[in-house]
Amino acid sequence: MAAPTQISRFDPFMSPPLTSRKPNLSFPLFSTSFTSLSFPSFSLSLSRPKPQTQRSYRHRVHASIRKLSESDSLPISKDPEDLDASIPTGAGVYGVFDANGELQFVGISRNIASSVDKHRKSVPSDLCSSVKVGPADTATPDRMVLQSAWKSWIEEHISATGKPPPGNVQGNYTWIGAPPDIRLTPGRHVSLTIPLEELIDRLVKEHKVVAFIKGSRRAPQCGFSQKVVSILESHGVDFVSLDVLDEEHNYGLREKLKSYSNWPTFPQVFVGGELVGGCDIISDLAEKGELKALFQK
Amino acid sequence: MGVTKEDVETTLTSTLKPTHLEVVDTSGGCGASFEVEIVSEQFEGKRLLERHRLVNTALAEQMKQIHALSIKKALTPAQWKPEDKAQE
Repeated sequence: MAAPTQISRFDPFMSPPLTSRKPNLSFPLFSTSFTSLSFPSFSLSLSRPKPQTQRSYRHRVHASIRKLSESDSLPISKDPEDLDASIPTGAGVYGVFDANGELQFVGISRNIASSVDKHRKSVPSDLCSSVKVGPADTATPDRMVLQSAWKSWIEEHISATGKPPPGNVQGNYTWIGAPPDIRLTPGRHVSLTIPLEELIDRLVKEHKVVAFIKGSRRAPQCGFSQKVVSILESHGVDFVSLDVLDEEHNYGLREKLKSYSNWPTFPQVFVGGELVGGCDIISDLAEKGELKALFQK
Repeated sequence: MGVTKEDVETTLTSTLKPTHLEVVDTSGGCGASFEVEIVSEQFEGKRLLERHRLVNTALAEQMKQIHALSIKKALTPAQWKPEDKAQE
């Protein structure tokens, strides 16, 4: 069963795994209003006046960051200092290639060298061999410029190969890190203002797919939870997870959930506010090819 | 000593009246985890979730000591093909 080929957008303000989830606010941004932009006087776009500002804007986008195929390939050094010296430390888009020269992931960054270094540390080394960079031509590029360039690079790759880079397919978290688990409270010192059961009820109805697992999504602590996470991710399912073993943030969840769902074990997967089952049932549905239909209801 | 394989078999037999039942202790005899394969008319007209619930409910007492219960098959007699099993 092939995974869906939707492209998951890498938010430039979200850090790669194992770092703070706070958005990077140290870089000021231009307004995204087209009318606020001023084009350089030498720009080729001015020689052919366009009736719509938006078209001129898009032309500028392509002019400011070079194409994937026109970018030079740079080796990814294990030494952070060498890496900083050879790879631009400014903002832009970049594409990471494996040892066979296959494009694995296209990302957006405010500091390309820093992002590549983080990938180097967290991604298997055979996937992270060289990089092509598309630095922005200003220190503080517009967000839309980066996103448009990112999209252009991926589309360029799809045109050439027929498929998106593996790392950018929805559900593949090798490069961007799985989303953090949901926590019911900031900590055990904070008391709930509503009954835990009501909180659970709101949670499973607020999110399309909720998985209550043992351990975190990034590090499940039992084989059954690991298997469910793996199945959901390989099917490109957009789900949220809660760690029932997290006594600090989810105190009492484990016992309360058993009575709420009338199900004694974990993991438990809810879809559309209703329990679908545990590892056996999710595995069974996946084997029969019935999983996708379930999540599309 | 935790739950025994015989405990699980006896309980499921008396509650769900299976026409076929196979229980495997997957914890190497410790009684901590089991795999169950069960065929029963009581599963007729019930979707998979409810069938698993019937098994969970039947084993409610044993579940307090079992770390992991894996229900590999929960079928009606009409769904079950005995020839699939070499040892039957």
